[in-house]
Formats: sequence, structure tokens, C-alpha cells
Amino acid sequence: MDRKYHALVCCRAGMGSSMMLKIKCDQVIKEDNLPIETEHGNLDSIIGFRGDLVITMIDLTEELSQDPRVPSAIGIKNLVDKNEIREKLHAWLDEHKGEEPRR
Amino acid sequence: MLSDLLDESLVQLNVEASDWEDAIRKATAPLVANGKVTEGYVDDIIKGVHELGPYIVITEHVALPHARPESGALESAVGIVTLKNPVEFGSEDNDPVKYLFPLSAKDNDSHLSALQSLVELLSDPDFFTKLDACKDAKEVVDLVHAKERGM
Repeated sequence: MDRKYHALVCCRAGMGSSMMLKIKCDQVIKEDNLPIETEHGNLDSIIGFRGDLVITMIDLTEELSQDPRVPSAIGIKNLVDKNEIREKLHAWLDEHKGEEPRR
Repeated sequence: MLSDLLDESLVQLNVEASDWEDAIRKATAPLVANGKVTEGYVDDIIKGVHELGPYIVITEHVALPHARPESGALESAVGIVTLKNPVEFGSEDNDPVKYLFPLSAKDNDSHLSALQSLVELLSDPDFFTKLDACKDAKEVVDLVHAKERGM
């Protein structure tokens, strides 16, 4: 596939944990050559986000899943655990196989 | 570099904290005293956990207390704090918290390299083993320098 899915990696502050989570996600995406591009931001970035997926620490995911603006959310328990991130990104891609990226 | 944001005055070992809120206040006190963040910044960290849960607990036994830059980050800085007795933050997966890395970043992107080093340190079990063996703040700062040189 040429087109990539867009993921917003966010936390409440928009720096710190979201940036660190983005670094880890990008390592996995690069290693596995996954068709995902990430950007990071704070919870307000969801307003106007036109991508496919939101990635946050798990304690924020429950709140986000109830937000109609969030297309799909992945929650990470352990920010430094690449295996957890890898499993969840692959599972998301399997689930959305055949779907076109939204932009 | 992470080393640029860390100095001995921001390191505290074996801090006694009664609960998560006390741990955050004590861990961030040197950042307030050294003009890195305002009191309002600390209040916003605590407000965030009350509103949204313990999302600042990012891996086993580790909390990264931080808030929105606009709530009172004055200068970018990171502290390293260990607790004498670990405290519960209410994190299902990563409690109890023994290590806190209070963080102040002025904006989103300028401290990318420091955060990259920090995430590598947090991924390194040997860092925590050596941190546990540190006897004073200088040893902690030296440890971070040594680890960063090896990255």
C-alpha cells in the first residue's frame, strides 16, 4: 500500500509522555515497516484530527473511546515495552485490513 | 541532551512520601525552588491525575509528573527522585511507584533529544539497578552522563 494511516499520539500535556510514546511507536513502525505515520499533540489536538487512529497511555483511552471525534483508539500500558506496542499496532492493522486511510 | 536539563539540585534519593500527591509535591519542590516551574504547574499535574487518572505512570514503578507547558513551565528541566517507600498511584499495571522523573518542557519539540535519552534510560533495567545503588545526587548525575555517552 502506498498510502499510510495517520495516528495521533497524545497525552494531556502534549509533551513529555506523548513525545516519548511517539518515539517508541516510531521505532516499532520503522523496524516492522508498518504503513503508519504518527504525529503528536495534546488532548485538544483531537479536535480537527482527520486521521485514522489515536494512541495514548491506557488511562486516557477509556475517556477517549467515548469521544465521537476519535475514530479508533489504542491504549498502551507500558510506554517502554516495544512488544506491547508492536502487538497492538499489528492487531489494529489486521482489524482495519482493506480499509483506505481517511486522508 | 538529558544531562543538560538535569543537575544535582533536582535529584533527591529516598524521599519519604505519604501518598501520590505528596510524592508529586516533594519530587517537584526543587523545580519550583530553582525557578524551573511555578506552583501552578505542580497544581496542574495533580489536577490532571485527579481528572484523568494515573496516566503519568508510564512504565512499571515509574511516574513522569508533567503538565501543559502553558500552566507554568519556566525553563526546561528534569529531576530524578526515588522514594523510600513506594506509593500507589492507582495504576492497574504499573503500581507501586518508586521512581519519579518530574519534567518541565517549555515547548513541544525543542527537547526531543532529551526525551529520546530519557525514554532509552527508562527502557534500560541496568539504569534502575545502578540508580538504586547511588548514594548521593552527584552519583545519579554521573550515572546519567555515563549512560548518555554509551547511547
